[in-house]
Amino acid sequence: MNFREILKFTTVADRVLFSILILFSLLGLIFVRSLILGGNSVEINVDGNLEYVLPLDEEKTVPVQGPQGTTLVEIRNHRVRVVESPCQNKLCIQQGWVEHGVIACLPNKVLITVGKNGKRGSEPDAVTE
Amino acid sequence: MQSPNRYQIALLSAYALALHGFESMFPSPVPWLRLGLANIVTLITLLLYGLRAAFTVTLIRVVLASILNGTFLGPAFLLSLGGGILSTLSMGFFASLTPRLFSATGLSLIGALFHNGTQLLLAYALFIQRIEAVLLITPLIVLLGTLTGTINGIVSELIIKNLKKSVEKIQNVDT
Repeated sequence: MNFREILKFTTVADRVLFSILILFSLLGLIFVRSLILGGNSVEINVDGNLEYVLPLDEEKTVPVQGPQGTTLVEIRNHRVRVVESPCQNKLCIQQGWVEHGVIACLPNKVLITVGKNGKRGSEPDAVTE
Repeated sequence: MQSPNRYQIALLSAYALALHGFESMFPSPVPWLRLGLANIVTLITLLLYGLRAAFTVTLIRVVLASILNGTFLGPAFLLSLGGGILSTLSMGFFASLTPRLFSATGLSLIGALFHNGTQLLLAYALFIQRIEAVLLITPLIVLLGTLTGTINGIVSELIIKNLKKSVEKIQNVDT
């Protein structure tokens, strides 16, 4: 039983239906991915308070005012990094570009969360002052 | 199309149950994502004996399989039942409404689509309740369902052809 014999007993409607299903599911795979990416956002907390919520698909550089000074946060190509920070060890800058996850600058009390919009259950369990 | 007696229904249900059990041995990324091998039996029953018989066989298969798995009346059972009923009804609907339009392969694709669609809707309504999670997985499930549905349809087509051939042979011997 070869491929041509199998094709012979399928009808035109079969093949049309098959093509439509394959086409739409492949389009869906691509479309849904960009939809989810576009819905992402960046949340910036300073000292436990939510200061900024920014879309991840918008290129922007934000100066964030912390207790020690200004932390400069850059958003580009669906990624986030800290450009400048008044802290001493500069760990947040060394962390580089982050696609999803958290950048924390503890000395300046800046917490940047990169992830899904409106996602719950990702808050810290407790914050010590 | 002849109407089946109870022994034929029992035999077909046993085939469906065996295939159902066999395919649950395959690993699957999503718990309710299956190859749908049991749909081969449903489809053959539908085309040889009609919707009523196919519906009976599907119900027997879903209920017995869930009792044997230990998932009777659980979440997986509800998804399996909903998917089984809707896919059988949709295949019966298209088979009687447009008998020459689709072959067994097309009917199998329709059945797979309705099976997956029902399960996604049920999963959304009953368990997940996050539309973006359902939307994210829908294209992948439809794609996989189309591929397995095509294979199941071709297998059903071949089995029906061979069954008819052997029936003819027996009748030729009789006369």
